[in-house]
Amino acid sequence: MLEITDLTRRFGDVTAVDGVSFDVRDGILTGFVGGNGAGKTTTMRMVMGVLGIDAGEVRWGGRPVTAADQRRFGYMPEERGLYPKQRVVDQLVYLGQLKGMDAAGARRAAEEHLERFGLAERSRDRLQELSLGNQQRVQVVAALLHRPKALVLDEPFSGLDPTAVDSMADLLREHASTGVPVLFSSHQLDLVERLCDRLVILSRGRVVASGDADELRSRGPVRYRLALDRDAGWVREVRGIHVVDVDGPTALVEVVDDGAEQVVLREAAARGGVREFSPVRPALSDIYREVAA
Amino acid sequence: MTTTLTPPDTTVADEPAAGRAAWALVARREVVVKLTDRAFLLGTVFTVVVIAAFMGWQAWDAGRTTTYSVAATAADRSMAERLATDATGVDDTVAVEVTDAADPAAARALVREGDADAWLHRDGGTWVLTTDSEEEDALTGVTREVVRQAALEQQASDLGTTAEQLQAGSTVTTSLLTGDAERAGLASGIAFAFAFLFYIATLTFGITLANSVVEEKQSRIVEIIATSIPVRQLLVGKIIGNSALAIAQMVLFAAVGLVGLSLTPYSSFVTAVSGPVVWFLVFFVAGFVALAALWAVAGALASRTEEVQSTATPLTMLVMAVFFGSLFLDGAAKVVVSYLPPFSAVLMPTRLLEGTAQWWEALVALALLLVAAGAVVRVAERLYRRSLLQTGGKLSMRQAWSAPE
Repeated sequence: MLEITDLTRRFGDVTAVDGVSFDVRDGILTGFVGGNGAGKTTTMRMVMGVLGIDAGEVRWGGRPVTAADQRRFGYMPEERGLYPKQRVVDQLVYLGQLKGMDAAGARRAAEEHLERFGLAERSRDRLQELSLGNQQRVQVVAALLHRPKALVLDEPFSGLDPTAVDSMADLLREHASTGVPVLFSSHQLDLVERLCDRLVILSRGRVVASGDADELRSRGPVRYRLALDRDAGWVREVRGIHVVDVDGPTALVEVVDDGAEQVVLREAAARGGVREFSPVRPALSDIYREVAA
Repeated sequence: MTTTLTPPDTTVADEPAAGRAAWALVARREVVVKLTDRAFLLGTVFTVVVIAAFMGWQAWDAGRTTTYSVAATAADRSMAERLATDATGVDDTVAVEVTDAADPAAARALVREGDADAWLHRDGGTWVLTTDSEEEDALTGVTREVVRQAALEQQASDLGTTAEQLQAGSTVTTSLLTGDAERAGLASGIAFAFAFLFYIATLTFGITLANSVVEEKQSRIVEIIATSIPVRQLLVGKIIGNSALAIAQMVLFAAVGLVGLSLTPYSSFVTAVSGPVVWFLVFFVAGFVALAALWAVAGALASRTEEVQSTATPLTMLVMAVFFGSLFLDGAAKVVVSYLPPFSAVLMPTRLLEGTAQWWEALVALALLLVAAGAVVRVAERLYRRSLLQTGGKLSMRQAWSAPE
């Protein structure tokens, strides 16, 4: 498990990361969410040891992380780029060897991963001859090749088409299922919601929310959707609720006083013609907007 | 999905190439990338061809015979005939054939129109060699010798003796003197060639190295590498890989030059200059490594390829100073600077070639150069490590030195 405690980094007068703490648990996909400049990349670079830490610490397996530990992690930096003029498979083998694999093992692993991404026949091409999306896949392979003990991926999904997103998601899940902690950042909230077991939401250098997806949702406002046969305008008269929206026979209400939703339901039943009365799970994007606001 | 993953393979990934082998991987990549780069290969082949062509031209030019056509009127014909007969004996690159002219005006016309190279005629008590617009030095020298010999023989016979007897005890041998002068000329030529090779090699390989550093930095692949191996290993690998390539290229050029030299009339000097050539290569290795470390720093101080030119300016000036210093320094200054790294990389082997330095002087200069190279690599490592992961624009040396890690 990766434990990040009170991590802080300043650039001049700007505190880019301000006392950030969260865990990346074994065998789980942890999504790292936040707007531009929220401090995701800075945090990840500190976790990987490519950026100095002003305060706080990163722990791995219960003790402070060492360079030797970080060498066994897989890392995908924010800005992409391997060697544009070198053949795809050659540079993957090189990077695998730097991670301690032997040449044959690195070649096997590279070819296996390229195959998964449908790039087997492009392996002898120079990287610059591939489309940006395919270059991105190669970049991912570079991070996964040596079967890392932890994965830190900065925006692994950006620039991928939907098919590639799916195969990437499968790949990450598989790595997680072998007990590896996976941390990845993303702007795409729907994707994070679909994929992640846990989320860390960062805003202006601080963690504003973290936990599993259901936990986060339960922190959001409780809302109910009501659908009737006829006009639902009467809900505006009910006390203890906040009416979010009324549109003809449907209404969306937010519970302010506990149990007020029961008042709404009784009133609706009394008036007759109830077609639907259901709780609405807040989308993560709503939660995000709320906490990051 | 056709494959399933097994849990992390502890036998493979537990020993990252953090130790000694990592620099070798980096160095090998630098070499392989360069050797598969078409521009590099073409450039090397082109230079070899230029050297071979130059040496070939030298050999051909030194060996060829120029035939001069000398016009003469009937009155002077006998001397012209004698010139034609004896010319090649005096200078083996000169041959003379006689062109008959009816009178002086016709002879002048022949020379002016290029049908004859010169007009040999007697003017009072002296012989005159008239050419069109420029003197023919080789022909003049031969003519002077032949005429002198003919006059000597004539006067000796008038005195009832022989030219040999007249000249007995008056000959001065100049061969040894000539040999030394030629060798000095050759030494300065070779020294220039090596100074130029060093200049070109440090500049081209240096810029390549600086660019490859900033490209890795710019594309952030350096972040992947820095989380795989210690940055020191990356720097050492890059220095060794590029130095090995530069030295190999220089050895190739030197070998082509020496083989070419053996085909010229200077072939007797091949053994004499081979020793100093080896010294050149030894000094180059040390000098090149020190400079390569600095080029790597120049690359690391930049954030984008465009910035390399400005971060590398002090280094470009230094390399040029080494080159021009080797050309223009003389006397005591040359002796002093020949101990001073990195100038010693070129100046000391130059002095060895000229025969003005003793072997122990070379060893002292080499030791100083190696110490300097070691120190530079250490300083460079700190600058490189600290600036490599800074991506917010160009860094100064001072900023890099004190940057947090």
